[in-house]
Amino acid sequence: MEPISWTGFWIIFGICALTILACRVLPLFLLKGRELPPRVTEALGFIPSAAFAALVANDLLTPGMFDAGIWPAAAPLVAALAVVIVARLSKSLLWSAVVGVAVYAALIYLF
Amino acid sequence: MFTSENIKPAFKAAIPIMLGYVAIGIPCGILSSSIGLDAVQVFLMCALFYSGAGQFMIPNMWLAASPIASIIASVSFVNTRQMLYSAAFAPWCEGVSKRLAFWFSATVTDESFGVNTKMFEQGGWSVERATFVNVFSQSSWTVSCVVGVLVGNAIGIPLAIAAFAMTSIFICLLVTQKLTVANVVAAVCAMVGVFVCKLVGLSGPAIFFGAIIGVVCAIIFSRVREKVS
Repeated sequence: MEPISWTGFWIIFGICALTILACRVLPLFLLKGRELPPRVTEALGFIPSAAFAALVANDLLTPGMFDAGIWPAAAPLVAALAVVIVARLSKSLLWSAVVGVAVYAALIYLF
Repeated sequence: MFTSENIKPAFKAAIPIMLGYVAIGIPCGILSSSIGLDAVQVFLMCALFYSGAGQFMIPNMWLAASPIASIIASVSFVNTRQMLYSAAFAPWCEGVSKRLAFWFSATVTDESFGVNTKMFEQGGWSVERATFVNVFSQSSWTVSCVVGVLVGNAIGIPLAIAAFAMTSIFICLLVTQKLTVANVVAAVCAMVGVFVCKLVGLSGPAIFFGAIIGVVCAIIFSRVREKVS
């Protein structure tokens, strides 16, 4: 893996910083008492579920993931299941991260 | 604005977020240093970009050899959820100065949105206090990430384990979403979309396309359900 260059950093950082600033600031300033059309609000409401599910799937699912044996691919899935339970019970990002890392590390080192 | 009347309750409200950011920020710094980002670059990202999901995604996608355009598109798309938070806070910012409204809205995160929304609903909360919650949270995040960069090599935590902290956070953010049928459709279709993208060799933009597929499927599902009922 080649380290990220300063040019690459500025491009990624600059554009991402501008887009997130626009997303954070513009709706608040543009709305000022008005409301978004219901259809737009509804579509925006689906983004968190879809985006986080895509991120989780990207980390956990890969075609041919069981080719090297069941356990290497199953370990993160088992740890993910533990996180789901903790997240549902505690709704805490901190506890989810702590339990996820601990269970994943334990599964890798113990088995 | 800078009175103990505002600062003390804001600090109290921000403590859980700050502790969480220490636990997540250090692995984020370690991960960032693994792709060659130094402390100054990570500090700039924390100060001006300030997105936990985004700051984990960038090194993760860089390690996966994703193209720069794909990284930017995916990170920006994931961060469009901020529009919802911003729109939700608009009524609370009526009558607030433009400078304070800008400062407040520019520093909102998933976690501070949750805490501040709860406090506004309970009453007795102000945009000044909410801004301090954001600032305390951002400070904790920034310090933790920079410390992660500086001690990353010394600690020697395997990357896969450090990166799983963010996977866990994504899982938590996913399963704590409102449990509606349409949201489940969005999530399942997004996951299938990511898998299919990878299957056909589109690993780079898989997150972006997968999320779009999820949103489109959920919209279609809602329309069909409206017509049926």
